[in-house]
Parts: sequence; C-alpha cells; structure tokens
Amino acid sequence: MTYHTLRVCANRGAFEAIPNGDTTLDLPAVRGRLEAHGIAVLDCRVMLIAQMEREVTIGRDGRILIKTRDLAEAERLLETVAPMVGEPP
Amino acid sequence: MMMSGGIDSPVSLYYMLRQGHDMIAVHMDNRPFTDDSPMEKISDHLHVLEERFGRKVPLYVLPHGPTQITLMRQTDRHVGCVLCRRFMWRAAERIAEREGATFLATGEALGQVASQTLSNMRTATASVKLPIVRPLIGLDKHEIETVARSIGTYVISTRPGVCCQAVPDRPATRSNLVQIGQQEERVDVEALLDDCVRRAIVM
Repeated sequence: MTYHTLRVCANRGAFEAIPNGDTTLDLPAVRGRLEAHGIAVLDCRVMLIAQMEREVTIGRDGRILIKTRDLAEAERLLETVAPMVGEPP
Repeated sequence: MMMSGGIDSPVSLYYMLRQGHDMIAVHMDNRPFTDDSPMEKISDHLHVLEERFGRKVPLYVLPHGPTQITLMRQTDRHVGCVLCRRFMWRAAERIAEREGATFLATGEALGQVASQTLSNMRTATASVKLPIVRPLIGLDKHEIETVARSIGTYVISTRPGVCCQAVPDRPATRSNLVQIGQQEERVDVEALLDDCVRRAIVM
C-alpha cells in the first residue's frame, strides 16, 4: 500500500496516513501479515489495532492512524507497517 | 456527571457545582480508541474546579474499550454512537445507584454532534431510569467556549489528543428503540455492564 499524505489528525494527538486511491482492505489478511511479523493485533472487525512501539490503527479503507505526536516516529512506523498492510485484493 | 475531557463537560460540572450540588464525576475510558489524554485532561479539569469551589469531586473511571470492541464486532456500525451512549448511561446509572445519587448529568448541547440529535438522545437515554440534567442543552458552542475560557478549563480541553476512533464514518442521526433493541440482542448487555462496573477505579 502506498500513501500520499501523512498529516496530523484533527485533535493533534496522532498522525493519519491517507492511501493513494479508494481501497477496501482484506483486514483478516492484513492481520495475518502483521502477526507473522510478531506484532500483536486487536481485531475489531472494522479496524485493526496493531501494538507496535505506538498503537497503530488500520481501517478497512486503508487509512492508518499512528498514535504519536512525533512526525519522525510516525514516518518510521508508517514505513514499517505499510508493506504489511499490502495491496488490496 | 459524565466527563469526557472535552470542552463541554467541565462547563456543565461548573454550573452544577455553582448551584451547590455534590457531584461525582464518571469517565468512560475509551482506550484503545483514544489515548491517555482524556484521563489527564479530566484530572486537571477536576483540579481546577475543586480549587474554585473548595470541595472534592470523586472520579470514577470505567473501562469502556472492551464494550466498544464487542459492539464493533457484533453490531451495525451505523448506530454505534447510540449503542455506545446507551452503555455509558447504564454504567453511570449503576455508579449513581452505588453512590446514592439522585440524577445523572452531562455536558450535552443540542445538535452539536451525531449523538446529540434529539432522536439519538431520546434513544440513548431510554436505557436508564434516573432523571438526566443537561445544564448546557440550549447553549451554542461559542457560549460554552466563552464560559470554559473564563473558568480556566478551555486551555486544558484543547490540548492535543486522539479523537474517538470508534465513531463510524457515517453515524446515524436518527434512531429508534426497535432498531436499537434488535442490535442489543446481539450482545450480552448485562455481562458487559457487570464487567465494566466491576473494574471501575475511584480516584
């Protein structure tokens, strides 16, 4: 998955990554890839919450929320997680 | 008094304390769908108001995340906010009963967000029996913010934080009890509430 924007979320407590184009992720498959990398995942059906250095939420529409206020950390976590999110089916 | 960490609830609490009511604060801890910021903000809100009125406001913190996870997995997302509110009201009522409180209070103002339409308020509060006091119901956002600034809570409320991630993309602005009842049949309401209230922390 590729992302065109990493922006501060509305309440300034996290960064939100916006995917290129409309998409619908296969969340169970994403969960499988994350867990294969040893990342614990909370599966809420409509979103996944990955327990990384910071909590990372992955929505079905491909949006990713990274709970940090540090841009460099958000960029690094996005770089790590984006390949695991993979491409939509 | 239901406390969220936002702008409205400390203003609502201010009005109730100003009238001389003994109040108990209840916060539904929505992690992992938020971050730690609501807890920090509420603690600071209460500190400001306790200093102002010279009396303690006990704070109950109840874990709401597990309930949210169950609702997300098992119910229609469209009415997620109404279902969430119904659980919050029920949990608050249980705390009120435990404490001998005679009413519930909130910082709701009409029409600000999806959960605060008259239709959704009615559906949400039909889950409880105690009367509900809404000191801000007719105020607009600007009026509430003006009071918040004057009592020193605005600067706390507007610190950075994470919005509730459990809010659906298109939350229902209208709901009815039949529809909501059907959704709640998919979960064990009493078990969720028992678990939530059993794990309450008093601060």
